[in-house]
Amino acid sequence: MRIVVQCSSPYSETGCAMAGRLCQLGQIPVGVLTLPALDRATLFRKFRQWGWNDFCRYAWNKLGPSGDSATAKLRNPYLETALRHEDGLFRNLHEVASAYHFPLMVTADQNSESCIKQFKDWAPDVAIFTGGNILRKEILMVPRLGIINSHLALLPKFRGMSSPEWSLLAGDPLGITIHYMDAGIDTGPVLLRREFSELSHCESLSDLRNRLIAGGIEMVMEVLTSLERGSITPVEQTEVDRDHQYFVMHDRLKVQAAKILKQRQVAALAQLLDRKAG
Amino acid sequence: MSGHQAASGSRAFLAAIRTRKVLQEVAGLVRGPQRVLPLLGKAGADKLRMKFGSRDIYSYTETKQDTGEALQLLVRWIKRAQRQDGGIAAYYSLLTGYSESYPEVTGYIIPTLYDCGHVTDDREAWGMAERATAWLLSLQMPYGAFPAGLYRGGSQPSVFNTGQILQGLVRAYTESNSSDVLRGAIAAGEWLANAQQADGTWSGPNAYQGVPHTYYTMVSWALIGLSKISNSSFAIVAEKNLSWVLKQVKPSGWIDHINLTGHPTYLHFIAYVIQGLLECGILSNREDLIRAASKPAWVLLRKFEMNRRLLGSYEEDFRGGLHFSCLTGNAQMSCIWLRLFERTNDPRYLNAAIKMNELLKQKLPVRGGSGILGGVSGSYPIWGAYQPFRYISWGAKFFADALMLEQRLSGSFETSRCAL
Repeated sequence: MRIVVQCSSPYSETGCAMAGRLCQLGQIPVGVLTLPALDRATLFRKFRQWGWNDFCRYAWNKLGPSGDSATAKLRNPYLETALRHEDGLFRNLHEVASAYHFPLMVTADQNSESCIKQFKDWAPDVAIFTGGNILRKEILMVPRLGIINSHLALLPKFRGMSSPEWSLLAGDPLGITIHYMDAGIDTGPVLLRREFSELSHCESLSDLRNRLIAGGIEMVMEVLTSLERGSITPVEQTEVDRDHQYFVMHDRLKVQAAKILKQRQVAALAQLLDRKAG
Repeated sequence: MSGHQAASGSRAFLAAIRTRKVLQEVAGLVRGPQRVLPLLGKAGADKLRMKFGSRDIYSYTETKQDTGEALQLLVRWIKRAQRQDGGIAAYYSLLTGYSESYPEVTGYIIPTLYDCGHVTDDREAWGMAERATAWLLSLQMPYGAFPAGLYRGGSQPSVFNTGQILQGLVRAYTESNSSDVLRGAIAAGEWLANAQQADGTWSGPNAYQGVPHTYYTMVSWALIGLSKISNSSFAIVAEKNLSWVLKQVKPSGWIDHINLTGHPTYLHFIAYVIQGLLECGILSNREDLIRAASKPAWVLLRKFEMNRRLLGSYEEDFRGGLHFSCLTGNAQMSCIWLRLFERTNDPRYLNAAIKMNELLKQKLPVRGGSGILGGVSGSYPIWGAYQPFRYISWGAKFFADALMLEQRLSGSFETSRCAL
């Protein structure tokens, strides 16, 4: 199967892990498309999200001398398996690309003409989106089967941003949906949808997100295998409310979501203990 | 005279008015040279903020300023804006200083003053509301109407201003139970009922620019309020107007006939239409009105969340507009989203309103003299198209309303979610 991976930055852990996991399973991508590392908006966002210390630590891990990459600290520890290779851990897409010999294209705009041309030259059966620009119809049409996205909530309800947090706030089950992308926001046909059951182990909202991201990568691998075998049929989202998606959650609401996460953990643990006692 | 000649004549008239205004403002600066430094300081600060402010869909403004502190600053600004006659000044201009008392804002700021009094146990705010009410009653015309524009003695009656003042009188009566206030409110209501056209609109010499406007939903809101306190049939007058407004709602959510000749359709007026519809819907429990208000409210919420700001004005169907912020309109949208959250329990409205309030808090001056400290400017940047170089009293009013709503609703939200 000819696969292309799309990433938000060469230093994106999720992008590296997706490419790394594909290679581990012998599905070496025909190409990887990424936005540049020094995108001002992304840097500013990361700085605000992580704070000064974590931002500098991350930058050092990614850009500093690569001597002891095996011990490089990951922001998402659940990606370690996907990032592991014989010399340690992949720190960026350049390292993955040189280890597995696939082309890497850095572009400021994934919808640009040159990018679409390159995409067409790679002639992918399927592309995997791990981050980047909002994609236009021209690029969405290129892969034979479509572009796959891993959404960190159960569609069709929680389309958009901060979806695990919104799921918690609504008191709904958490989960992951693998779907094809279309012109709408998370409105494309669903390939695989699974509830997340490891709630009792989550330490925080960011830990929950990390687990969902790692779970999403494994689900994408499952989907690719099924697509190759022809044993999966995409299901259109019928009850999708196209006008009303979810947006980035304010920290004050996130505090409430974190409290609900704790409450649900306690309930899950109590159930577990009951079952053991029974 | 041909249509073309008439149009160019009215353009020339508007240009002449604008030129006169600019000259008056500049003359004000010459008379008050102490205002030059604050003016340059504010313009420079806005220029820098515009240059370096980040804007993407993942980030939003956060301030360290507490909501209660911001509210106190706003209330202090309003207190300083109350003139000796009891009326509230329309604005503090960086060029000319405080304006004369403005009957319209003095009216609809009364509910805000009472709310502040309740929330912060501020007796002074109550006293201010009582003085404002007394001043307004002294201005009422014999046939029940209230005058248009700034108070300079003797003026044309105005439908919209009478409606906005009625809003204040209704609240003043609820708080004071005064028969004088009720009498004044009913007289205003009767005048509004008589001035209404057969199709439910208000037009002619007592309407702004002589034509009907959908933002007169604010008048309908006041009439429904009056109907509730006086057990009378003013709600029928409001319903007639609302039926006409509902016919102007387009599938895009845009509501036609805001009708401001010679001005862009500022967000302030769009928000008036939505707020009027929504509050009428809530008061009379009419889902059709709430739905009509929800549509444009969501369109604007989505624009705000995607772009991290709203434009200062919009063209038909929200297609584009002027690139500045109408801070008053922003505060009104925050109030609308909070009221929709209260009604629907959809936390996305609360989320957007908290972000909007944070953004507005960031623009609130925490330093400066009287008229600047705690004021809400008409535009951001200060030289934007809506009320340039002015801190306006209705901006302070709507932002104070938004903060009080946020305090009340986010508190109950936190309690209810923890019980999930």
